[in-house]
Amino acid sequence: MKEQNPIRESELMMTRRQLFGRAALGLGTAALADIIGPDLLANSAGQAGGTHFAPKAKRVIYLFMSGGPSHHDLWSHKPKMREMFGKDLPEHVRDGQRITGMTAGQKTLPVCPSKYKYTRHDNNDQGVWVSELLPYTAQVAKELCVVHSTFTEAINHDPAITYIQTGSQVPGRPSLGAWLSYGLGRVNENLPGYVVMHARSKFPEQSLFNRLWGTGFMPSEHQGVLLRSEGDPVLYLKNPAGVTGRDRRAQLDTLAAINQAHYKQFADPEILARIQQHELAYRMQTSVPELMDLTGESDATFELYGEEAKSAGSFAACCLNARRLAERGVRNIQIFHRGWDAHGSLPKEHESQCKDIDQASAALITDLKQRGMLDETLVVWGGEFGRTAYCQGKLTETNYGRDHHPRCFTTWMAGGGIKPGITYGRTDDYAYNIADADGNMIRPTKDKWTPGTMHIHDLNATILNQLGIDHRKLTYRYQGRDFRLTDVHGHVIKDLIA
Amino acid sequence: MNRTLTLFASVFAVAFSTTAAETPVDFSREILPILSNKCFVCHGPDSRKEDLLRLDSFEGATSDLGGYRAVDPGDLAKSEIIARIHDADDPMPPEDAEKQLTAAERALLKRWVLQGGGYTEHWAFVPPTRPTPPSQDHPIDAFIENQFTGDIDFAAEADKPTLARRLALVLTGLPPSPELLQSFLDDGSSNAYEQLVERLLADPRYGEHQARYWLDAVRYGDTHGLHLDNKRGIYPYRDWVVRALNRNQPLDEFIEWQLAGDLLPEPTMEQRIATGYVRMNPTTAEGGVIPAEFQAKNNFDRTETLGTVFLGMTMLCSRCHTHKYDPIEQTEYYRLLAFFNNTAEGPLDGNKYDYAPTLKVPADQAAWNDWTHLESARDRLLAKAGAKPGESLADLAKPEGRLAKLGLQAEAGQLIKQRTDATARFTTTLVARDLAKPRKTRLLDRGEYNLPTGEPLQPDVLKAMNPFPEGAPRNRLGLARWLTSREQPVVSRVLVNRIWQRVFGAGLVRTPEDFGLQGQQPTHPELLDWLAVELHDSGWDLKHMLRLMVNSRTFRQGSALRDGVNDPENKLWARGPHYRLDAEVLRDIALWASGLLDPHMGGEGVKPYQPAGLWKALAHPGSNTKNYVRDNGQRLYRRSLYVYWKRTSPHPMMTLFDAPSRESSCVQRSRTNTPLQALGLLNETQRIEMARMFAERLLKERATDAERLDLLFTLLACREPSATERDACAQLLKTMRERYAAAEKDATKLLETGEVPRDKSLDPTSHAAWTQLSATLLASDLALMMF
Repeated sequence: MKEQNPIRESELMMTRRQLFGRAALGLGTAALADIIGPDLLANSAGQAGGTHFAPKAKRVIYLFMSGGPSHHDLWSHKPKMREMFGKDLPEHVRDGQRITGMTAGQKTLPVCPSKYKYTRHDNNDQGVWVSELLPYTAQVAKELCVVHSTFTEAINHDPAITYIQTGSQVPGRPSLGAWLSYGLGRVNENLPGYVVMHARSKFPEQSLFNRLWGTGFMPSEHQGVLLRSEGDPVLYLKNPAGVTGRDRRAQLDTLAAINQAHYKQFADPEILARIQQHELAYRMQTSVPELMDLTGESDATFELYGEEAKSAGSFAACCLNARRLAERGVRNIQIFHRGWDAHGSLPKEHESQCKDIDQASAALITDLKQRGMLDETLVVWGGEFGRTAYCQGKLTETNYGRDHHPRCFTTWMAGGGIKPGITYGRTDDYAYNIADADGNMIRPTKDKWTPGTMHIHDLNATILNQLGIDHRKLTYRYQGRDFRLTDVHGHVIKDLIA
Repeated sequence: MNRTLTLFASVFAVAFSTTAAETPVDFSREILPILSNKCFVCHGPDSRKEDLLRLDSFEGATSDLGGYRAVDPGDLAKSEIIARIHDADDPMPPEDAEKQLTAAERALLKRWVLQGGGYTEHWAFVPPTRPTPPSQDHPIDAFIENQFTGDIDFAAEADKPTLARRLALVLTGLPPSPELLQSFLDDGSSNAYEQLVERLLADPRYGEHQARYWLDAVRYGDTHGLHLDNKRGIYPYRDWVVRALNRNQPLDEFIEWQLAGDLLPEPTMEQRIATGYVRMNPTTAEGGVIPAEFQAKNNFDRTETLGTVFLGMTMLCSRCHTHKYDPIEQTEYYRLLAFFNNTAEGPLDGNKYDYAPTLKVPADQAAWNDWTHLESARDRLLAKAGAKPGESLADLAKPEGRLAKLGLQAEAGQLIKQRTDATARFTTTLVARDLAKPRKTRLLDRGEYNLPTGEPLQPDVLKAMNPFPEGAPRNRLGLARWLTSREQPVVSRVLVNRIWQRVFGAGLVRTPEDFGLQGQQPTHPELLDWLAVELHDSGWDLKHMLRLMVNSRTFRQGSALRDGVNDPENKLWARGPHYRLDAEVLRDIALWASGLLDPHMGGEGVKPYQPAGLWKALAHPGSNTKNYVRDNGQRLYRRSLYVYWKRTSPHPMMTLFDAPSRESSCVQRSRTNTPLQALGLLNETQRIEMARMFAERLLKERATDAERLDLLFTLLACREPSATERDACAQLLKTMRERYAAAEKDATKLLETGEVPRDKSLDPTSHAAWTQLSATLLASDLALMMF
């Protein structure tokens, strides 16, 4: 065995670190090299937040409503639909829209006005109408940027949710979160950089898939880490029965000695990196339980989020965790809440769903604001598509269902350099089509941005933009193609940016 | 500059090229990648405007653009391309283009033009010819050595124990047994190494290990993959792959059966099982989906997977438009797709396990062996009876008739019963079958299922490659023959590159998924071609190729990084492989070392320990993979190849260590290094169970701590511990013994992890201490790394 040359060692380390972009901070160096040329790489690699331009937001919290919340019953106040109750949706409104196999066979497509009462709430512009299902959210209207004209092409859950989260309807691409992890790296080494939570629902009707926080063809280190309410909060976090932290320390010391010996023989810097990962894991065993321990939270906090926040796995608890993660420097947080796929008993299901999420979503905004963190935290709320203006199944005054609707749905954003207290985009009298200022139907496509509309690629481009990333420049080469989250589409919607 | 020279344009060009641009530029290697990456987005195969300059051919580049030419053979220095790439006011690429040229690239382009602006075909589309190795050495070593620069030579050969470990891991995915290791170390003959290679190639573990790479590529999974992600019965395909590799079925036949086994004359059961390849795409039956949409999507997936697995090309781009970089027109994509558009299964899976068409087949390798015996018993009996074609065992068993007088009724009857019993235990597997009346395939505008345009397209192959084999049927069988024909330029290169990758840890082409214009160049182009031709000439003999590689000096080098060799990615191959082993191998090594490994081969995927709730948190309430029902007994300890693969939520110990989801093709896994892996290694239930059984084995098989440590190191690293390692281990043992002696309850708690009962005759303190040491060393690089 040869003695090691420390200069060579450090050179090897540098080469590897720079080449493979394991630096804790900074834009994925593989991507960076292509953008700015290798000459600048050395200077930029060590800088904090190696983004394309100064970011408005340091982090994103994405409240994902899986299944497709009904914009009709939450955000789209369309009094004219009341007059059309039970009548067939006019042909010119449907305008050739393809319909899923679930309602394609229905003899009629009866117009189904929402049974819920709407109230106009002041914001910083013309005000925003919010239904009685979201009383708490309505209270923070002045913070919200409500986009009524979000749209997609997919009409079924699996393709649609895969599309909005990965930019492709077909599995195999990195998720939004993976792109952010790749682009931004992480700040707090003692916690995962990208955290995903699953909030409890009484109607967990649609599936989720690992691919929604997976990495596709990108290295798997960028995958979302599940913060769980059952068992270990992070998989395999806890020592086995009969093993204490002290025991683990002793094990790690021996492990390091063995690996050091291996390094002496083989000089591969990956070995040293692995020793570091074991130390990180060891610290995570302290930092994660500390994160999950809510005993230090005040009564006021629980009043804000609701008592539900004490119940692990509730949406409220997830929101509180999200705030705690944000405080600890985690930049990339997603909460998935299932159960919005209301084909039959929409009122019963949506009332329960809204009860799950309303108070806590608003609390999160308020809490971030009062801690001075809202400006630097982008909060996003939305699902993979909206729901139809016509009823699926039997329409009564008190009960109805709605099928999937891709042509328009409502999403909101708050904080993170987004204009607070505005609405964006319009829909026609049936909230079926996106409309221009005069209420005339328009038919935007993903290929070219139409003002007043937000394709899901535009949403993702805007999210990336707020975090200092140019969606056209954050690329990862696979099979000879420089892939992007937004494919060859996406437009940063400047109108939404403060 | 001398003005008079312009009168003699060609003279000028030659003069210039010999002075200012002395080294000849390699178009295919240096220029084409730049053009492809930076220019083809507008000026490439997909150029939308008829009159726009095309830079993907010499004709295009030199065409008259109205008094000037991008590349002007008559006056190279006046070529417009040179002017425009240097033009500050009107630059190319335009200022707003996403990709700009670097100064070095501009200089290269200029040199290329001044040297004549010649074009050659992209290297991968030219069929390989066998280059002459530059020396008399082993051909691999000759090519490798030829590219060593300066005073670099091969690294010294690794020591024998290390070589034994490396060989066994590469070929079988497990370390060598202590007996095999010892016999190799004791064997002083000159061909001891080669003998070891042969023994390992003959080990049934070989097929299991090699199959794994193929299953990643073809995206094998045990569930449908979309929406409900219900169970799918197709594991007989996985087991067939293992068998085919173990018997070293020629790879051309291996490919043919998978693509078109059903189209062979009187296909055998195995040939039909192999067509599971065609059925491997993820499928759905989500309420409300439009069948035509998924007919299209299923076909896209098959076409694009074919591109990745065999052609090393992305077909994706040409689904919606002519490829930006590679010479694939959109029509060609749909012609290729037409080969697959004719299969009989419906576009939606019905959430069914036996999504038709299926075939009834034996359920695991043992059942398969039994069945083949029954098949040959039938054949023997019929032959003995002199049965005519069409006559069966039933005819033999009849009390009267032509065959009755032979007196074989009893024997035939018994065989019939055995066969009936065996078929009663058959399972089903998804297979391919073509419709009698072909579906029409049309180009889909922008890849939209509801925008078919133009005339129906006949199935055909890519124009940039070899023509469709003469006389071959225009179906999947013809497609398979095209893939494996001698003139096919990429398939053999793509396959040998992946074989090289699994032996050496990285490919000769570092982008195994892309041999197109945007892919990386091979580090050793001649070697790649030599190997590709060798694959053909050997009769597509995989074991032969592996033998060639592992017997090379290149493979046998020590794997330490070297002083004076600045090659962090080992592109010179001036050292042996050093990389973290795959998820499955990590688990298998520990199962094997602990003596828990169950040798049972094949059958329905097994479900080892998994944290509760992982599936439920994601699954649709109607899914039949909503609840993870853990297996018991021996099924917990099967080889990882057999771990159940739910595509939307594979086992976390697999995905933590970079196993793909198998929703799409994967021909190269990433190798990450994360804290979550560290947690898994030291805390996961099965890891602890394996550690305590490993400890139990050491305690029982060896009498002293020193001997135990020797055995532990021998099993994991094929060597005894160094003094430093011995000290570090002794320290931990001592600490743990003291600590568990003081709290025996903790010791017993630790020893109760996992299902297999512990040997209560062992002292729990000692057992627990050894468990901790075993767990630690199973998480160390001795058990994690290829070296």
